[in-house]
Amino acid sequence: MSSTETEFRDLQSAATSHRGDRVFNRTITGAAFTALVVLAGITVFLGLQAIPVLQTQGLDFLTTSIWSPPDYGIWGMLYGSVLLSVVALVIAVPASLLLSVFMVFLAPTWVAKVLTNLVDLMAAIPSVILGLWAFYILSPVSEEWQQLLNQYLGWIPFFQNESGNFSGTPFTAGFVLAIMMIPIVTSVTREVLGRTPPELINAAEALGCSLWTMLRYVALPYGRGGLIGGVMLGLGRALGETIAVFFVLKIVFDPVNYYNVIESGGGSVATLIVAKFGEASGPYETQLLLAAGFFLFMMTLLVNVIANLIVNRTGRLQK
Amino acid sequence: MSTTQVFDESRVASLAEQRPQAPWGTRTASFRTIVILAVFIPAAIVTGLWWYTDIAKPVLMVAGYLPLQLAAAIVAAVALRGKKSAFDAVIIVLAIGATVFSLVVLVSVLWSIVTKGLEAMSTAFLFQNNEYISPSTPLGYGGVGHAVVGTVVIVGISALIAVPLGVMTAIYITEVRGRAVPYVRFFVQAMSGVPSVVAGLFILTVLILSGALNQSAFAAGLAYAILMLPTVARTAEEVLRLVPEELRTGALALGSTRAKTVLRVVVPAAKTGIITAAILGVARVVGETAPLLLTALKNDKTVLNPFAEPISALPTYIFDNVAQPYPDAVIRAWGAALTLMIIVAILFTLTRLFSSRGPSK
Repeated sequence: MSSTETEFRDLQSAATSHRGDRVFNRTITGAAFTALVVLAGITVFLGLQAIPVLQTQGLDFLTTSIWSPPDYGIWGMLYGSVLLSVVALVIAVPASLLLSVFMVFLAPTWVAKVLTNLVDLMAAIPSVILGLWAFYILSPVSEEWQQLLNQYLGWIPFFQNESGNFSGTPFTAGFVLAIMMIPIVTSVTREVLGRTPPELINAAEALGCSLWTMLRYVALPYGRGGLIGGVMLGLGRALGETIAVFFVLKIVFDPVNYYNVIESGGGSVATLIVAKFGEASGPYETQLLLAAGFFLFMMTLLVNVIANLIVNRTGRLQK
Repeated sequence: MSTTQVFDESRVASLAEQRPQAPWGTRTASFRTIVILAVFIPAAIVTGLWWYTDIAKPVLMVAGYLPLQLAAAIVAAVALRGKKSAFDAVIIVLAIGATVFSLVVLVSVLWSIVTKGLEAMSTAFLFQNNEYISPSTPLGYGGVGHAVVGTVVIVGISALIAVPLGVMTAIYITEVRGRAVPYVRFFVQAMSGVPSVVAGLFILTVLILSGALNQSAFAAGLAYAILMLPTVARTAEEVLRLVPEELRTGALALGSTRAKTVLRVVVPAAKTGIITAAILGVARVVGETAPLLLTALKNDKTVLNPFAEPISALPTYIFDNVAQPYPDAVIRAWGAALTLMIIVAILFTLTRLFSSRGPSK
């Protein structure tokens, strides 16, 4: 070991052995683990409520769709959350990708700057306000769209509607979720596409690539991880969204609405919790809602962890 | 020509930093005419159909305007650049379409909030509370005063808890640099994905159902803090990273301890950034409704004691007034939405001001 290295070691140990520093280090380290404590706390305390529910209801709690005492099952809600997210993804992913392509490759710099600010502003709109807007402004318009969809494309199974009632549909709720997702996904995809190395773009252009070929063979493959991660971050948000969906979705347990997105009635775990909390008739129903919250938490945690692993692997956050 | 000119370093450097040339961006006079025609002709046809036929408007836009505009753009692109740019035209039309779509949604939301919210706005609405007010009471009486106070109290409590913890988490990652840094970052990221309703349920089960707390501003503040902490920590981390390494080594070389270096040099250097992080955290939670429905309930009175009783805030006030059969209640909801949006807009502007003024960026 060289002498400078030893000297450095000595200095370092001298520095950390300073009493103020030790106290400081411990305080900061303790605070840094708040996130872990909270996550563990949520898992443990909501999990503790889920155990008795699973004991009394059995696995039927997860596989049946019913909410009438004494039988409870949230399958329809779990499935509904996924269905809403799929509708939201179908709308939001192309829109966000195209929006970020416009901002990164097509728009003049000042337009891109203004758009970035507007997208951030869109992300800042509270979900309760979007819900209010969706209830009074979007819903009537959306009903008209859905009638037309049913009229012209009713032969596609997704656009069947037998009740003639187009309010409270998964389509409208998914549309609101899409509006919430667009700014979240766009802010990631814009950054990812903006990081395509100029050398690669120049090379593609020197080989005679058009914009489309450049996107298809350079920008999209280069940013693939980040793009997928961004979409999944948005998905995590959509799965956990409560209030905006509450105003525009009619919650139905049975029958489960599997794919008729423009048929009235659907489900969402997060919305179920808020909808049933006010009328919960006793500690047992509250416990059921806590258990539902536990499974919602597990679902979003899984999506979010995968999303972050993908995003981190592509180095977006390691600046 | 001497060799020094060939290897002119500034030229080499400028080549290295050269921005992509974007050949699809070059323009000529005929280019402009053709593009203008390609934009104008479909628009004119569709405007004609819009006024003189009764085709349903959404159908006209999706089945009429979109294909027409795509066709026109493809024809123009092929005429200007040859066959291989046909797909570029599709991308450009769709990209502009997606941008316009997002802007229409944003404008629709903001426009409806402002126009409908202004119907409710008055000094009485901003300062009075909801006591003795029923949904059918005319607009001149009652307001969101208590809800504004509630929002400020709840958000203030959560900021008092989450901002120090968030900044300390960031300091751990960038300054203390312990062995657990990757894990801490991972947990903070995972925490940012906790749905707001789950944060509310957590506080409900641990503190309220166990009898430790009432449904109150403090309980709601704790739920908000769970949502606020990751935002503060992640922003503060990025800001602390921007503090030049020389400041740290310089302070250490002058004999400062690690703790003093962080507290007296690094944190003050990143002050504006840390304020931005706090504001972003506040903006993240200020409109959250679900945790309040579980942990704060509602109250028509103005409540200042954060422990004593349930409390209303702007989001819960909106929630209570939406879908009421009374038009005045609905207008109150829009008024509260405008009040909330103004608060959000102020926070939004503050972050822009701080981030453009500070040493960051």
